[in-house]
Amino acid sequence: MRKQDFQRIEDYVWEIPASFRDDMQVPARLYASDRLLEAALGDESVDQLVNTATLPGLVKYSLAMPDIHQGYGFPIGGVIASRTGDGVISPGGVGYDINCGVRVLSSGIEAEDIVPFLSELASTLYRNCPSGVGKGGNVKLNDKQFKSLLHEGSSWALKAGYALPEDVRRTEEQGCLKAADAGKVSSRALSRGIGQVGTLGAGNHFIEVDIVDEVFDANAADAMGLVRGRVAVQVHTGSRGFGHQVCTDYVRQFQEAVRRYGISLPDRQLICAPFHSEEGQSYYGAMCAAANYAFVNRQVLTHHIRRSFEQVLSGKLDDWHLRLVYDIAHNMAKVEKHNVDGKTVEVVVHRKGATRAFGPGYEGLPPEYKDIGQPVLVPGSMGTSSWVLTGTEDSMNQTFGSSCHGAGRVMSRKKAKSTIRGDQLRAELEESGISVQAGSLPGLAEEAPRAYKDVDEVVKVVTGAGIAKKVARLIPLAVIKG
Amino acid sequence: MFWEEISHTADLSLHVWGEDLRALFENAARGVLDLMGGKPDEHLPMIEKSYDLCAPDWETLLVDWLTELLYLAEDEGVLVSTVTVTEVGDLCLRASVSGWPGGRYDKLIKAVTYHDLAIVPTERGYEVVIVFDV
Repeated sequence: MRKQDFQRIEDYVWEIPASFRDDMQVPARLYASDRLLEAALGDESVDQLVNTATLPGLVKYSLAMPDIHQGYGFPIGGVIASRTGDGVISPGGVGYDINCGVRVLSSGIEAEDIVPFLSELASTLYRNCPSGVGKGGNVKLNDKQFKSLLHEGSSWALKAGYALPEDVRRTEEQGCLKAADAGKVSSRALSRGIGQVGTLGAGNHFIEVDIVDEVFDANAADAMGLVRGRVAVQVHTGSRGFGHQVCTDYVRQFQEAVRRYGISLPDRQLICAPFHSEEGQSYYGAMCAAANYAFVNRQVLTHHIRRSFEQVLSGKLDDWHLRLVYDIAHNMAKVEKHNVDGKTVEVVVHRKGATRAFGPGYEGLPPEYKDIGQPVLVPGSMGTSSWVLTGTEDSMNQTFGSSCHGAGRVMSRKKAKSTIRGDQLRAELEESGISVQAGSLPGLAEEAPRAYKDVDEVVKVVTGAGIAKKVARLIPLAVIKG
Repeated sequence: MFWEEISHTADLSLHVWGEDLRALFENAARGVLDLMGGKPDEHLPMIEKSYDLCAPDWETLLVDWLTELLYLAEDEGVLVSTVTVTEVGDLCLRASVSGWPGGRYDKLIKAVTYHDLAIVPTERGYEVVIVFDV
């Protein structure tokens, strides 16, 4: 793939026409600056974007956000919308970590007041929030309770004492996809998931204590409780082994389905089935259960984080409480209605490493966000900034109400491990004032800031293209990784 | 070694080869366990497990086989020390593994993907490149 294969549609929008390859059903669009486009051409990500344009029932175009990078099947940063009537749902297009997502918590704590307690806070968070490979949590559930959790999502967490009513209101879909069907989940997935509720996992998942470094939209920041100079917290994790197993099961089952439905694919990982088929509906029910699991997982971790703040800061600071700003998914398939050529069409929007970015007035938003639009949470990499944005009306028109989900990798894990030493990286981060707790130093090296693109450039593209608006920038004070 | 990690931006990719399909499947298992690293708790008694798997094609059989090992590692917490594939033929595999329960791996591998997965005959026997979600 070469830069010449693209047509520049707008300053930050590039298109590969549907005529580029015989099997493309729609054009493929990439949101990028010149620099990010060059970076995307460095691996297979653009080929993967073109592959997604071959799926049945697509409307308008297949898309990729500026944090695009090579994945498997779909690129990370990919978005497609397939009609529910004659289109498909793709387990490969959602990925293994179903409803991997991010939440941001705000506080009234001045950053300078927390500095003396930062190291103790980081180690308390590490101790209280189970993390690492395969690590189990401390929420003990029987089968009946676990199935209630899968069907009810965040409402279950509220009833169980892990959430505040405001937390539920400020979670995408109020933390519950109603189509969840635990009966479509394998016994193996149930077995993997029951013991991992409230755990961080490993890899690129993290808890981060931040300072609100800059506010760009005072009105939106005020609605979210984000004040310059005060502490915020980010949580990034997903549906753990439960989601991995749901995806594994259905990717396997769908291998037969594509033959039966006569669907031709350029890559077997793009596996899919008609949305209204028995297979498609079974996967959708199981995927929604995994999504609810992930909402609860982040909520229970929030409970552990609040407990940690209280343990360390109670009696030392007047107000250590944390309020949820918002919780969003970035690996999900959602049934939504979008305007296509002047008509409202029901589609399954797959966002793989991309978030919703709905504009002001969207009815699913909590009342306090109705006028500003949905918060869009864009974590950076350790040591760099993260961003809080809002969705726009333009994102509804351009990108099926979608935006970027992070910085996007640019260096392979192999190269990161061979060129960066985990202990040195930790020392560098500590020297720059960032407290680090990590279960694995090689794992820390793989997630080094220089393995990622410049998140500020990614944000420049989505705001420049009009699909999101800047609200606030966060800078890390402490990082906790499995 | 009969495997090597190759560059992949977001995930992990493993190039594996073997003189025949039996060796390829055995080496692929050893390769994925090598990627996961880990330290056993040798105070506990070892456990053994046998597998008889069949699939509609060789690539699916490979995904199924490695998926079984990931499940054993994460859900049952077994740190696998020995893998023996005894028989491969007619799109079926027979294998046994042994290891210590209660071990902890260094690296999480979420899943084995089908991305561009193709077992190909070469001068070395058979080769494959497998992409894992991490």
